[in-house]
Amino acid sequence: MTNRSVQLQLGLGACIASLFLIFVAIPGWVASPTNVRNIILSPLFWPYVLAGLTGLTGLGLLAVGWFTEEDGVPLNDAADKPHTAWLRLFGLAAIMVVTMLLLPRIGMVWTSMLAFVATAFTVRTRHPIAAVICAIVIPLVLYAFFAHVAGVAIPQGHFVRLP
Amino acid sequence: MSFIDSLLAGLALVGNIEAFLALGAGVAIGVIGGAIPGMSATMAVALTLPFTFAMQPITGILLLLGVYKGGIFGGSIPAILIKTPGTPASSATILDGYPMAERGEAGRALGMALWASCTADLISNLALIVFAGWLASFALNFGPPEFFTLILFSLTIIAGVSGDSLLRGALSAVLGLLLATIGLDLVYGTNRFTFGSPDMMGGLNFIAVLIGLFAIPEILAMAWNPTAHLGKTRSLGNKWVTFADYRRCFRSIVRGSMIGVFLGSIPGIGAAPSAFLSYSEARRKSKNKANFGKGEVEGVAASEAGNNGVAGATLIPLLALGVPGDVITAIIIGAFMVHGLQPGPMMFVLNVDIIYGLFIGLIVSSIFLFFIGTAAIRGFKYVADIPKRLLIPSVLVLCIYGVFAVNNNIFDVGVMFAMGWVGYFMMRYHIPAAPFLIAFILGPLLEDNFRQSMLMSGNDWMVLFRGPITWFFWTVTIITVVAIIRAGYRAARNIGANRLKG
Repeated sequence: MTNRSVQLQLGLGACIASLFLIFVAIPGWVASPTNVRNIILSPLFWPYVLAGLTGLTGLGLLAVGWFTEEDGVPLNDAADKPHTAWLRLFGLAAIMVVTMLLLPRIGMVWTSMLAFVATAFTVRTRHPIAAVICAIVIPLVLYAFFAHVAGVAIPQGHFVRLP
Repeated sequence: MSFIDSLLAGLALVGNIEAFLALGAGVAIGVIGGAIPGMSATMAVALTLPFTFAMQPITGILLLLGVYKGGIFGGSIPAILIKTPGTPASSATILDGYPMAERGEAGRALGMALWASCTADLISNLALIVFAGWLASFALNFGPPEFFTLILFSLTIIAGVSGDSLLRGALSAVLGLLLATIGLDLVYGTNRFTFGSPDMMGGLNFIAVLIGLFAIPEILAMAWNPTAHLGKTRSLGNKWVTFADYRRCFRSIVRGSMIGVFLGSIPGIGAAPSAFLSYSEARRKSKNKANFGKGEVEGVAASEAGNNGVAGATLIPLLALGVPGDVITAIIIGAFMVHGLQPGPMMFVLNVDIIYGLFIGLIVSSIFLFFIGTAAIRGFKYVADIPKRLLIPSVLVLCIYGVFAVNNNIFDVGVMFAMGWVGYFMMRYHIPAAPFLIAFILGPLLEDNFRQSMLMSGNDWMVLFRGPITWFFWTVTIITVVAIIRAGYRAARNIGANRLKG
């Protein structure tokens, strides 16, 4: 992605987001009492102003992108192997989804241990044994602090419960 | 309450071992966090925040301020030793610090960085003590229209200086403002973008948003390129900084500190521009200007004084006006809120003991920074040896615990993950995250003060121009916008001219 393509993509995205907000999101998901006499005090006013500003910024980005010459210089460093880089990103997304699903079921400590190990291996750790040890110790230490010092009710899950 | 009474009240609040331990621990955490390549002072403050929930407000806030101060200095260690700034503010330190390290004078460069940092930190703290109270007493006269114009001014500055593109900064700020509209309406109590979920009625949790924006994208970036952080650490060498070096650079250090204080007290400027301005001024005035960029110790002193001079001064708008000066103070404002405190002029009336306690703590933090920084310079190689690919999963687990602990709510963990992807997208598209977060904090204040102004005036727009204070803020807002547009136009024209020449 070059600077120009980033500007154009962002500009287009902002314009689409603005239109979506104005025609779909704000009428659909912002409630306003019917007896508001002045639009300025309506709960709709501020979101509409911001939607308009998003559109204006998008137009600005499109204009700047349009008049910027293509320099061909990529804006981000390329990954060594893009396919595996994408796979690792999808892996992390999966870890996050599974974490959300497991948190109320098996508890925060066990979920964190699994998330730690999975993340360490996703980023290709060169210290697998240390990773497993840290995966056990760090969630337990954090549990001890938050549950017993800070008094936070850490989710315990339905299976193995900690003191 | 007289000055002495306030001072004694502050001393009574912080005159205990826990407060000083928290401050010392904060400085140490900050130095280590800033020194670890790929982490940053911002991330260190964000990750420490959940640990303050169980503490007394003053102890927790001192811990975070310690992390902030330590983190800014800590960033200079990898900047000098491995040419990787630990924080953006340390970028200017590389210019002369790394050439010195290549010459085998890393110890001298780091020593000067520490001495300049401590001096600038002290000057900045004194400026905070002198100006914050004065500004707060002035701000007591502010009503909703004055606050509206002040926040509008802060937003224009933040959008303009937080990146290499004004429009991307503005887009970031608008997105932050939009996200802040989620929740119940402030006046009528109706739903806005809550999708019927009770979890969203109070708006998105600030801590979840900030940790998502600043910590999770680093984890995702690591997954994209796991070997990007590997670098070669230089040895400290045998040459150390001397008092003669310090005396020779003293003028540049004081000048850099003043620049830092001035720029830091304006919301949104941040430490990096201050460091570069201080560096360029030192080079312009120095007898050794030819050596700048080739390993001149005065260059290290000036840039470090510039970025540390900001640290205390950014707290001036935070404490006196309730407006965060940069992204770290935006996180610290969250700590105030978590502990039921609202920074701003009324805090100088209602919580004067906390204010003076913070002042005392900040002065002491400069001393802690000197001793802990000295130890950190020698211990950096151990910090640099921490495997990043073990650190990153630890950060993920810490984020999960920390965000959950705010409200005991798993939904917040989901918000953090979602914001993490938003932050990563912004990182890939070079959209600065700082305006997003600051706008997210200021958004409700802006809207609330605007609507209060309209309510109190019976929808008369002229209330927004009702006195000299509002006129002042409108004027500086317009000047800022014009200056930013002009600078952007000139930059674009220069690029075009260079291309034509090429």
